[in-house]
Amino acid sequence: MEKIVYSLFLVPWVLALAVFLLPGARFHRLRQLITFLSLPALSFLTYLIWNGHLPLQIEAPRWLKLAFTVYDYGLLFYFLYQGIKFRDFLVTVLALFQLFLLTWVLLIIPESSVPDFYVDRLSAFMFLIVSTVGTLICIYATKYMEQENLERENRFVAILLWFLGVMNLAVSVNNIEWFFALFETTTLASYILIRFRWDEVSVKNALRALWMNQIGGIAILLGLLFGIKYYGFTHFTQFLSLSGKPTIVMIPLGFLAVSALVKGAQMPFHRWLLGAMVAPTPVSAILHSATMVKIAPYLILRLSPVIKGTLLAKLLIITTGFVFVGAGLLALTQENFKKILAYSTISLLGLMMLTASMGSSMAILASLTLILFHAVVKALLFMEAGVMEKLFKAKYIEDIRRLVERAPITVAFTSIGFMSMTIVPYGIFVSKWMAIEEASNFLSHGAYVGSIIFMATGGVILALLYFKVIGVMTRKRGEFFRFQLEKVPFVYLFSTVPLVLFVIVGSIFIAKLLCLSVNPVVEAVIGTPAPIIAKGLTLITPVSELYGWQIIGAFVLLLIVPILAYFVHFTGTDRVYEYTCGEKLELNIGTYNFFCIQAVEPFVETAAVALFILTLVLGGGLV
Amino acid sequence: MSYWTAFILTLFSPVIGGFIYGLERIVRARMQGRVGPPLLQPFYDFFKLMDKRSIIIHSFHAFMGIMYLIGTWFALFVLLSGGDLLIAIFFHVLSLAFLVVGGFSVRSPYSVIGAMRELLHMVAYEPLYVLSAAALYLVTGTFQVSGILHSKHVPLIYLPLFFTAVLFSLPAILKKSPFDTAEAHQEIIGGPEIEYSGKFYEAVYTAKWIEYVYAFFFIFLFAGGNHILGALLIIFAFFFFNLLDNVTARVNFRQMVAFHWYILIPLAVINLMLIALWRS
Amino acid sequence: MDFKKFRKRSPWILHYNTGSCNGCDIEILACLAPKYDVERFGILNRGNPKQSDILLVTGPVTKRAKERLLRLYFEMPEPKVVVAVGACACSGGVFRHMYNVENGVDKVIPVDVYVPGCAARPEAIIDGIVRALEILKEKGKEVELPHWCSAQVKPPVNRVKLLDRCLEELHGRR
Repeated sequence: MEKIVYSLFLVPWVLALAVFLLPGARFHRLRQLITFLSLPALSFLTYLIWNGHLPLQIEAPRWLKLAFTVYDYGLLFYFLYQGIKFRDFLVTVLALFQLFLLTWVLLIIPESSVPDFYVDRLSAFMFLIVSTVGTLICIYATKYMEQENLERENRFVAILLWFLGVMNLAVSVNNIEWFFALFETTTLASYILIRFRWDEVSVKNALRALWMNQIGGIAILLGLLFGIKYYGFTHFTQFLSLSGKPTIVMIPLGFLAVSALVKGAQMPFHRWLLGAMVAPTPVSAILHSATMVKIAPYLILRLSPVIKGTLLAKLLIITTGFVFVGAGLLALTQENFKKILAYSTISLLGLMMLTASMGSSMAILASLTLILFHAVVKALLFMEAGVMEKLFKAKYIEDIRRLVERAPITVAFTSIGFMSMTIVPYGIFVSKWMAIEEASNFLSHGAYVGSIIFMATGGVILALLYFKVIGVMTRKRGEFFRFQLEKVPFVYLFSTVPLVLFVIVGSIFIAKLLCLSVNPVVEAVIGTPAPIIAKGLTLITPVSELYGWQIIGAFVLLLIVPILAYFVHFTGTDRVYEYTCGEKLELNIGTYNFFCIQAVEPFVETAAVALFILTLVLGGGLV
Repeated sequence: MSYWTAFILTLFSPVIGGFIYGLERIVRARMQGRVGPPLLQPFYDFFKLMDKRSIIIHSFHAFMGIMYLIGTWFALFVLLSGGDLLIAIFFHVLSLAFLVVGGFSVRSPYSVIGAMRELLHMVAYEPLYVLSAAALYLVTGTFQVSGILHSKHVPLIYLPLFFTAVLFSLPAILKKSPFDTAEAHQEIIGGPEIEYSGKFYEAVYTAKWIEYVYAFFFIFLFAGGNHILGALLIIFAFFFFNLLDNVTARVNFRQMVAFHWYILIPLAVINLMLIALWRS
Repeated sequence: MDFKKFRKRSPWILHYNTGSCNGCDIEILACLAPKYDVERFGILNRGNPKQSDILLVTGPVTKRAKERLLRLYFEMPEPKVVVAVGACACSGGVFRHMYNVENGVDKVIPVDVYVPGCAARPEAIIDGIVRALEILKEKGKEVELPHWCSAQVKPPVNRVKLLDRCLEELHGRR
C-alpha cells in the first residue's frame, strides 16, 4: 500500500522527466503517448488506493525529513533570487520573511512520532480528481502546445505532469512543515507556468502570483509556530484530535484558514488567479480545476471538524459568502472569456469553502460534490476556451458572437458547462440546494442567514452571467441551411468528451454517486456520513427529496431538446426580418457589460479586505 | 396533493391562468373607469392567434418559444406535485432560460435588450423566493410543498413582513408595472416576445398565463394548511397587484433591482432572523 | 373548429403615422381611452406588426415613410386589413400633389377601409374598424401584395427577399 502511495507521486514525476528529455518536433507523438499513459497509470493507482484499507498512516524515512528541510531552503532562496533578479520588492521581502520564520520553526520544532503521511478518503478523493481531470488536461496540453510552440512543448507538458505529482503529495502529507514546502511548490509551479510565455505581462503576473501566494506560505508558517507554541502540534491529525474540546486556542487554525483563503484566490487576493490567464490556456485549466486552488477547500475540509461552530467558521462563512457574491458581480463587467471563467472560479471557490466551514455532514457533502463537479466543469470550460482561441481566434465575448453557426460542438459543450454551474439537475446545483437547505436549520445564527442570502443572490448572479454568454454564442443570422459539425482535433475531443459525459451521467445518477462515492469521504472527514438515501434516481435528504423524474425531466428539457433544435425546421412557415420600427438598419448587436457595476468594485474589495482582517483577528482569536 | 390532482391541475392551468388574465383585464379596466373586454377575451385571442399565418425569423428562435411553454408547464407541475419548493423555484429559472436564449438568438435589438432585462428580473426576485422557501421551512418544518399545504401552522402569522415582500415582488415575476421593464410595451414592445408571431406567439402568451398560476400558488403557500385563508390571500394579492399595476409608472431596471435588494430582501431577512431567534 | 369567428373578437392594432399632423393619431388614442374604450371589443394597441391584425395608417405617406410603411406591411402576418384614417391617408388631403407625398396610403399598400375626416372623429374610426373586422373575417391567409407589385409568391414566403424585390420596383417606378 505504501508503495502505491509513493508511486502516485513518483509516476507523474518519472513521466514528466521522460517528456522533458524528449525535446523537439520529432518526438511529439512519443511525448503524446507518454502523457497519455499518465491517465491509465494514475487512475489505476487511485483505484487501488480507493479500494484499499483507509486511512493509511505512513512513517516516512528519516532522510526524507532532512531532504524536505533542505528543499524548503532551496525553494525560498530561489524565490529570493527571483525577487532580486526582477527587482520585485514584495517577492524579496516576503521570501526573506519566510526564511526567517522557517528557521525559527526549525529551531523550536519538537520531535514527534506521528506518521508524516496520512492518506484518508479525502486524500483519495483529491487523487481521483487529479488523476483523471488533471491528466486529461495534460493530454489536451500536448495538442494545444503543438499549435502554439512545438519547441517548448516538452518543457510545458513536463511541468504540468510534475505539478500533478506535487498536488498528489500535497494532499497526502500530515506534517504541516512538509505541507508548507508543497504549498510553496505549487506556488513555484504556478509561477513558472504563468510566466511561460516570457513576455512582459506574463512575468509581471507571475511575480504577482508569487508574492500573493507567499503570504499564504507565511500564514502557514505562523500557524505552525503558534501550533507548536500552544500545543506542540506539528501534524494535521494532532489538530483533529482537538475537535469537541470546549475551549481551544484558535490562532494556529486562524492562520491556516487564512492561507487557504489566499490559495483559494479569495478577495482581496484574487488578482493572482486572474493574472494566470495570460499563460497558455491549459495552465488556467489546471490551476482552476484539478490542482492548486483546490488546496484551499481541501485545507478547510481538513480543519472543518475542529473549527465547526466556532467564531472562525462563522467568519469564514461570511467572508467566503461575500466573495461568492462579489466575484460574481465583478465577473459581470468582464469581456474576456477566460476572465469571466476566472471570476466564476473565485466565486465558486468561495461557495466551496463556505459549505466546508459549515461543517455539518450535509454541508461537507455539498462541498465535496461542488469540488468534484467544479473541477470537471471548469476543466471542460477552459479547454473549450482554448479550442475557441486556437480554432476560431475568439478571446472576447464580442468574438464569440454567432459561434453557433460555425461551431455547434464547441457551443454545445460550452453551454453544458455553463448550465451545469447553475441550472437545476446538475451536480453543482444539487450541492447548492443541499447547502441552502442545511443552512436553513441554523437560521438563528447570523452567519447562516448570511450564507443563505449569499447563496441565493450569488447563484442568481452567476446564472445571469452564464446566460449572457450563452445568449451571445447562440445568436444567429438565419436558418441552419446545412448542419455541419466543425472539425475539432481528435485530442481535443478525447479530453473534453469524457468530462461532458461525466457531467451528464454523474448528474443523472447523482443520488447513487453521492451515496456510494462521496458519502464515504464525508465519513472520513467528520466521522459520520451524511444521512442521505438513494432510491433509484431519487435523492432523499433529511428534509427533502429530489425526485428522479425531476432530474430526467430537466435533462430532457435542457439537453435533448436544444440539440433537437438544430434539426427542427418549420419549413412551411414564412421567414421575415427583425422588427426595427420599419427602419432599414445595418444591425450590429453588442452585449451589455454592466459597466455600472465597475463603480462598486472598490467597495467590494474594501469590504473583502475588512472581512479578511476580521476573519484573521476575531476568528483567529488575536484579540 | 397527489400526482393525479397535480397533473390535472397542471393540464388545466392554461385555462385557469386565462381566466385570471381575463379577470385582470376587466378589473384593470374598471379601475380606469372603462368597461373592459369580456371575461373570455384571452381565449378569443388564443383562438385568433391559432388561425394566423405564422412568420418566423428562424426555426431555433420559434422552437425556443414553444420550449418556454413546455418548460413553464413542467415547472408548474414540479411545484404542484408536492415536491421540494426550492427545486420548483429553480425549475422556474430553467423555464425562463428558454425565453432568454430565444430572445438572445435573434439579431433584434428589442429582443436582446428584453432578454437581458428578463435576466435582471430574475436577479431581482429569485433571491427573495429562495429565502421564502427557507422561511416556510422554518415555520412548517418541511421543504415539501405537500407538507406545507398540510401544515398546522399558518406561515402568514409568523411571516407578515415576508408576505409583504413577496407581494411587492409579484409584479416583477409577472412583469407588470412598476416592474415591467422586460416587456415594457411602450419602450421595447414586449422584449423577448417581440419577434414571435402566430402560433409561436401563442405559445409564449399561454406560458404567461401559466406563470400566473405559478405565482399565485406561491402566495397560496403562505396560508399553510388553512386553504380558505389561502384563497382569500390570492384574491387580496390579485386586487393589490392590479392596483399597483394601475397606479405606478415603470421604474428602470436599476431601480427595480435596488428596490428588491435593498428594501424587500432586508425586510424579509429581518422577519426571518426574528422568527429564527424566537424559535431557538 | 372554425377559428374565423374569433378574428372579429380580438383584433390587435398597429398604428403607423406616415407624416400626419398628429390630429388623427390623437383621435385614435382617444378611442382607446375610457370614453370610447375600444378594448370592449378586445381591441389592443400592440405596437408590434408581428402580432397585429389591423394596420391603422394616418398621414399622406411622405416619400421617406413609404419604404417603412411597406416594411411594416410585410411584417404583419395574414389575415390582415389596412385602415386609412383621415383625409390625408385616404387621398393626400391638403398635401395632395405636393412634391414630397404619395397622395394616400393606397398608392403604396392595398387599403381595405377608408375613414374620412380631418381629423377623423373617434366614432368614425370605430366605425371604420368595425367595417374592417367584417372584411377581416372573410379574408384568406394568402400573402397580399401591393397592386403595383409584379412578384409571384408561393408559400412558404421568404419575406426578406420579397421586400427587396418590392423595394426595387417601388424605387424604379415613377
